Amino acid sequence: MKDMGSLGGTLKKSLRYVAVLAATTFAVGIIVAPTATAATSVKACLALDTGGVDDHSFNESAWLGANSMKSSKIAVEYLPAASSADFAPNIKKFADKGCTIIIGVGFQISAAIVDSAKLNPKINYAIVDDGGLDHGPKGDQWPGTKVANVKALEFATDQSSFLAGYLAAGYSKTGKVATYGGMAFPSVTIFMNGYAKGVAYYNKVKGKSVKVLGWDTVKQDGTFVGDFSSLNIALQVSKSFEQQGADVIFPVAGGLGAATAGQSLKDKKSVTIWVDSDGFKVVPQYRSVLLSSVIKRVDNSVAAAIKETAAGKFSGTGYMGTLANKGTVLGPYHDLAKKVPAKLQNEIRAIAKKIKSGALKV
Amino acid sequence: MAHRGSAVVQKVALPALAFLLALLSGGILIALSDPLVLPLIGSPWKFVKAAFRSAGKAYLALFQGSFFDTNLMTHGSFISGFYPFSETLVIAAPLILAGLSVALAFRAGLFNIGAQGQFIFGAIGASYIGFKFELPPVLHVLFAILGAILLSAIWGGLVGLLKARTGAHEVIVTIMLNYVAAYFLLWLLKTELFLRPGRLDPLAPPINQSAHLPHLLGKDLRVNAGLLIALGAAFFLWWLLNRSTWGFRFRAVGANAAAARTAGISVPFVTTAVMAIAGGLAGLGGAVQTLGTQYALTTDAAGSFGFDAITVALLGRANPIGTVFAAILFGGLRAGGSTMQANTQTPIDIVLVIQALIVLFISAPALVKYIFRLRDIKTGSSVVSKGWNG
Repeated sequence: MKDMGSLGGTLKKSLRYVAVLAATTFAVGIIVAPTATAATSVKACLALDTGGVDDHSFNESAWLGANSMKSSKIAVEYLPAASSADFAPNIKKFADKGCTIIIGVGFQISAAIVDSAKLNPKINYAIVDDGGLDHGPKGDQWPGTKVANVKALEFATDQSSFLAGYLAAGYSKTGKVATYGGMAFPSVTIFMNGYAKGVAYYNKVKGKSVKVLGWDTVKQDGTFVGDFSSLNIALQVSKSFEQQGADVIFPVAGGLGAATAGQSLKDKKSVTIWVDSDGFKVVPQYRSVLLSSVIKRVDNSVAAAIKETAAGKFSGTGYMGTLANKGTVLGPYHDLAKKVPAKLQNEIRAIAKKIKSGALKV
Repeated sequence: MAHRGSAVVQKVALPALAFLLALLSGGILIALSDPLVLPLIGSPWKFVKAAFRSAGKAYLALFQGSFFDTNLMTHGSFISGFYPFSETLVIAAPLILAGLSVALAFRAGLFNIGAQGQFIFGAIGASYIGFKFELPPVLHVLFAILGAILLSAIWGGLVGLLKARTGAHEVIVTIMLNYVAAYFLLWLLKTELFLRPGRLDPLAPPINQSAHLPHLLGKDLRVNAGLLIALGAAFFLWWLLNRSTWGFRFRAVGANAAAARTAGISVPFVTTAVMAIAGGLAGLGGAVQTLGTQYALTTDAAGSFGFDAITVALLGRANPIGTVFAAILFGGLRAGGSTMQANTQTPIDIVLVIQALIVLFISAPALVKYIFRLRDIKTGSSVVSKGWNG
């Protein structure tokens, strides 16, 4: 222990050196940091679901939509969530720093958005894929009460899925088409229901009897993987659909669609209709088996909510993405366009027009 | 310099210097990842100024997000300014408990990689008792916590028993049991028993008010009694390891199992007991997280607490008191990280880099010694456990 003195000295010197450096960084940072001058009048803040900003799904789509509204007057920013424990603190951070509009991305974040909205009636809120209703402290009040400063951003994806169903029925050689979902959430079953109704409409108009596997419009029940991550189960489901003779499959299970498309590619017995975004861009490896995509424009809805806020016209009235406002569309056929008869393409265009005008109810 | 003082310096020096080095490296990364800084490389003075500004702003936001923010005082009283520190402690409380779990195992020569799974079982136990039963306030909390400890102690003890009876290595068993626990939770949340009425997504019913851990500083600050539980557990573990016969046996087995056996200590029993207590501690962390902040069981109830716990125990040198400080530091980094991203657009991932760098510098004491020209300092062995062939 004789060396203690000199050791202490060396250590002290090093520590002093580090401390000075750290203090300088800190001080210079504070001095040169510009005072928070708010040149922008609207601050749009996105509280994301887990999965990150580059999830190839609704987080990414929402952020792209927000970014498209970025201007000298509109600032946009986001906070990712590592787990559901981050939802409430992230939203509180946004509320504290003076965001004009806080947009929760994904229905899971809905309760946290509603809680914050009730505490901050002057801030505007929006929630993607949920009604944004208050279900009470125990979450057991259904359907729930409206909160004035929360805007629901929802999608009539049954309209675009209706077109997909008509397309599938018209394309099918075997007279059997299929669909399955990730989990039985309303935001999932709405696709499956619209799809089955589209097939039924085809049967009615053409006097055919194309069958839908995986969804029963009467019972409102069908085939589900049980989550959005079990690729092996999705593959089993797809294989069994193929074995039953389905040659068009519409998976409503986010990334699990890759299992179906992979199976289509391998056996060449079926084609896949992609969901949420244009599969041609998201999963280019399956281009040769993607018949089309049922696209949900989360980006458009987010942009619309921000635009409304920037114009000073924010209201709690929900946004509903439809065929008419391009909030949801049937995507292009891309590489398979040649395999879809021109007559069928024209019929689908005509049906889309009817749905847009309200002449045809889905 | 007094002898005792130097001993403390010795203990604290390596983690503190590692932290400072990590902060400095992190600062360089922040500056270089700022799109406003790199284009200025042509003019050195402007570049350095911009780099300092970028890193300074980010670290200021980190501080504001983890300790004190004057801007928040407008929302109420002076105390409101400490909302960020409250958030730091909210994250730290379960992290302390999970960290203690890993630290205890380290001291007995065991690698507990299974804190994540044990944490999950604690959360399951606390959640079930929390929403299923109607009990008077204090009693309900105690009951829920006891249930959590029991369940996770069995889960952890199982590993010890397997090692003691069959020689199965605890690293492999705990890693695998983490998966089992995570998937068990996924499955459980889909069963009738745990499904919230009216919901189809995996989300358990909310915990009854009577089982909530009370907030310590008013309803606006989320810091809750879980922190006291964590500090109590740290004190208990310190006492157990340093002042009790059992603790001595645990440490003896950790130091040299063969010698301990010769001295008449039952190694299989110690292994099982240590893993059970470690499981209970991590499970207590799960209970604190569920009853104190989340109020409902979700699929990601455990977040990454169980894995961060390993780093925290390492940073705390497997010492209960050190683990407490390490957990608070990590809590601060996590809480401040998102404020840093919100205020300065610095990616929150930088925080993960800083955490990783801390561990890297701690496990390379020679590097730290070289950088700071500390020839004589006894940084001690960085290996707190013998691991694979222990």
